[in-house]
Amino acid sequence: MLVITPFEVLSIFLMSILAGLVGAIFGLGGGILIIPFLTLVEGVPLPYAIGASIVSVVATSSASAATYVQDRLTNLRLGMFLEVGTVLGAITGAFVAAFVPPGILLVLFGILLIYASAVMIAGRKTDSPSGVAPDKVARKLQLGGKYFDPATSATRQYEVTNTLTTLGISGISGLVSGLLGVGGGIIGVPTMNLLAKVPVKVASATSNFMIGVTAAASSSVYFVRGDVQPLLVAPLMVGVVVGAAVGTRLLRRTPPLRVKLLFAVLLVAVSIAMILKGFFPEIVL
Amino acid sequence: MDLNRIVAQSLRVGVLVSAALSLFGLFLWAIGGFRSVAVPNVMSIGDIVRIAFDGDLTGFIYLGVIVLIATPIFRVAVSSIYFAAERDRAYVGITIMVLGMLLFALYSGAAG
Repeated sequence: MLVITPFEVLSIFLMSILAGLVGAIFGLGGGILIIPFLTLVEGVPLPYAIGASIVSVVATSSASAATYVQDRLTNLRLGMFLEVGTVLGAITGAFVAAFVPPGILLVLFGILLIYASAVMIAGRKTDSPSGVAPDKVARKLQLGGKYFDPATSATRQYEVTNTLTTLGISGISGLVSGLLGVGGGIIGVPTMNLLAKVPVKVASATSNFMIGVTAAASSSVYFVRGDVQPLLVAPLMVGVVVGAAVGTRLLRRTPPLRVKLLFAVLLVAVSIAMILKGFFPEIVL
Repeated sequence: MDLNRIVAQSLRVGVLVSAALSLFGLFLWAIGGFRSVAVPNVMSIGDIVRIAFDGDLTGFIYLGVIVLIATPIFRVAVSSIYFAAERDRAYVGITIMVLGMLLFALYSGAAG
């Protein structure tokens, strides 16, 4: 039996406020902060950390998605289309997870994060290049959209391109989500922004929207498997909702460029932590 | 009614209900003297509802988890109906495909 003290529940609650805040701003589920915290700081066994994380990812993304959808920042059509890929990947990942050594996955994921941060930093000058021509699939599915950016007080139009490649990579982000108990936004946001040419704020909002469904698919597998500990998941579910409420207000004001740079710094920090944990599974801070 | 508003409201209600259930579970844990909780083996939704009515904190927290997982699934189902009303065939197909996979995950999770 996992012994959980009131102090641990309190510290998980406080950390989950931060995870919800970061998740809401960057279009993530917050799992990339929750899993390192639970495993490295609290010493929770990885399966329980993943089980609690993936459920709280549903809470973070649904809480922030509600606000972004209401603000019409989310591209509903693009999100629903890409969910075909993320959900298929997530279910596959959640089933395969039981057979793959977590150390290997953590190291590979860490390398992937470093790559994503490098791409983010390299592409930071062009938030959303104008004059993007929509491809055939995007035209047929009417994926283009517009949104109001309060930071610049202007409505911006955008088109979507490289649609099928983006769908394929969404499948990979879903797979990572199901395997590791994260939302997969860390792959989804850069893909939508840099490959599909969607503005970074819309990419974050649409990612949050998709993650709820992605994580719900893997959560149901982990929940039935018995990996969801009530006293770990309860403070997370409450805390991320508080954090997401604050984070969604911040995204309205922060300029897009700063959002991107902060995101890149976050990616590097987490990738180092994940690689270390992959090589030294016994690490507990 | 507008799809943005329907989706936003259903997500908000689901998240708040699940957070409230979790908070109540933690409250029960506190007034019960912070005792450790043994995690029961696989339970049906009926079992979870029953132990919640018995005042068990795991029952309330697990109800919160179930409401939370159901929230995005409900959102997809509602979108599907919306697109059907709009006669948008491509998106009816897309949302039904997603819904089918989600229900498969629930079913196969429960079976495995």
